[in-house]
Amino acid sequence: MIRSEIESKLTNVFRETFNQPELQLSPSLTADDVEGWDSLSHINLIVAVEQEFGFSFATREVRSMKNVGDLIELVAKKVG
Amino acid sequence: MGEGLDYFQLTREARGLDTSHCKKTLRLAVLADFATQQLISVLKVLSARRGVRLEVYDGGYDVIDIEILNPESGLYKFEPQFVAILHATEKLKAKFYAATDRPAFSEMVVTHHTELWETIGKRSKAHIIQGNYVVPSERVFGNYEQKVAHSLGRAISTINLGIAEAAQSSRSVLLLDVDHLAAEAGRSAWADARLWAIAKTPCSLPNLPVFARNLLDVILAASGVFAKCLVLDLDNTLWGGVIGDDGLHGIQLGGYDEGEAFVSFQEFLLELKRRGIILSVVSKNNHDAAILPFREHPSMVLKESDISVFIANWDDKATNIRRIQEVLNIGFDSMVFVDDNPFERNLVREFLPSVIVPEMPEDPSLYRGALAALNLFETASFSESDSQRGELYREQAQRELTKSSFSSIEDYLLSLNMIVKLERFSPASLPRIAQLMQRSNQFNLTTRRYSEAACEQFMNDPQNYLPLSFSLADKYGDYGLIGVTVLKLSDEELEIDEFLMSCRVLQRGVEQFVMNSVVSFAARHQMATVRGRYIPTEKNSMVKEFYSNFGFVASPISSDKSFEWTLSVQDYLPRKVFMHTEELDPVFGLTAGTSA
Repeated sequence: MIRSEIESKLTNVFRETFNQPELQLSPSLTADDVEGWDSLSHINLIVAVEQEFGFSFATREVRSMKNVGDLIELVAKKVG
Repeated sequence: MGEGLDYFQLTREARGLDTSHCKKTLRLAVLADFATQQLISVLKVLSARRGVRLEVYDGGYDVIDIEILNPESGLYKFEPQFVAILHATEKLKAKFYAATDRPAFSEMVVTHHTELWETIGKRSKAHIIQGNYVVPSERVFGNYEQKVAHSLGRAISTINLGIAEAAQSSRSVLLLDVDHLAAEAGRSAWADARLWAIAKTPCSLPNLPVFARNLLDVILAASGVFAKCLVLDLDNTLWGGVIGDDGLHGIQLGGYDEGEAFVSFQEFLLELKRRGIILSVVSKNNHDAAILPFREHPSMVLKESDISVFIANWDDKATNIRRIQEVLNIGFDSMVFVDDNPFERNLVREFLPSVIVPEMPEDPSLYRGALAALNLFETASFSESDSQRGELYREQAQRELTKSSFSSIEDYLLSLNMIVKLERFSPASLPRIAQLMQRSNQFNLTTRRYSEAACEQFMNDPQNYLPLSFSLADKYGDYGLIGVTVLKLSDEELEIDEFLMSCRVLQRGVEQFVMNSVVSFAARHQMATVRGRYIPTEKNSMVKEFYSNFGFVASPISSDKSFEWTLSVQDYLPRKVFMHTEELDPVFGLTAGTSA
């Protein structure tokens, strides 16, 4: 999958998970920047991403993400 | 898994959930050793869809014992109607691995649970819903695991069995069989070890809705909301083919393939009937054609006597279902309509939106599974008399049919030779009494929903309470126990704390008979006043004028939530009744054969 498609799908997942239809993703975006992104909704996000792309994150991968950029890289590694 | 059980959809709906349409509110406390927020969030949405607003006390993570043992805890302050105690097997595993005495482990765990139930029971009247433990996928002994007395797998199986057995004798404890749900989903699909490690989530997210829905099913069953009647189509539902066209030997029933599937489905339906679900038939057929397989087909599992109301004609099915509802006198929302034909299903949905109409799969082999998966037949009680319910309703249907041939209602009632028995609560009748308490919605003055334990307390307090049950029989059959009244005693007055009756026995003077007896009891004990109360609910408006009809006077301290009524005993005029009492009862001083 090419990068732009990954980012486009991820944007949709973020928008649905956090109920923010206008949300724009950027690599430096973190949980602090998005309303409603707490440890609970993080789990919802992770599983939604897994369902969308059809793979599973490893436990340490879930923790290791610090920002959206890390997430994009991880997804790209798995489906790219 | 079912329509509308998508986790992400439900999480979206949880935001800004609107419960203003909900006519009922229930208070649930959740105590768990796993993270509960996601479960509770989904539970509230599912509950709102059923018209019930759930107020939830979240006990916090892994503090089950503290919440229960501390008499000042938030749990008791919340005054829950239900306390759900739920577990993740991971926690239990850790305790098992750390245990020095493995042989004693299972018993110790079960005993601990029963002690917690007892502690709750001392401080609260809440129903307890105890979740069991999901048996883990890993087996260090492989298939040998169950042969090893103190392996983890065996220990957990033993604990689950112990909990179930203990719950049998504990009246206020209901079970949530989480292990069953996990097995249904497939244990590997149910569990998500990563989510446990990261967030202490009890199962994979897609399974949270079915977990929540089953918890809700148990809560609703204990609140009197559950399916009571199955309305069945015949052609291509109970057998393959059309009886009118194919004839007795042309329909598929028994043997192989589809014929086998229909037999299997009928066996399931028969089991439901034994469990107390009323079976009825609505079929577009001539009556003679429709009844033929019941009488003559060798592979027919259901018999004519298993069907309480049998309607086969050319009217539309909504009209026929209304007829059934009138005869059975139960709510439309407790009826389930099963028909292979989408046209009929949609018609009934359109005209009778409260009736539950499940989508049926095309393949008859899948009928049983589809119906079972909906879990429509949850219950909070079961007694032996349940298995006779179908017969009782069948007798009722026959009474309805003979009624029309009498010129006056009075003549008809007298011809029934009715006998009423009034008795104090007794240990043998407690389960049936508690069941009526939970099921009764319409002819119910105060909807107290007393549990069996609470009823037992009344029974054991003759100083302050006279709790009575009443039974009815007539020439067509015995209705059994059909009503309950709980009387609170004091020197000057008698208070009717609860009065409820099965809707099968309306309009024959039972309540008049009981009220005559109650007032005459008050008179003999020099009580000057009888008080009654009517607490309005969505379903009990039929008894709004109950006390007024007996000559009670509205009390000035009434409010919209609770109407208070008083009667001056000396002003009471006994009502005409059409029944006899069966036996000498020292409470009422009646001799056999009197009409009170």
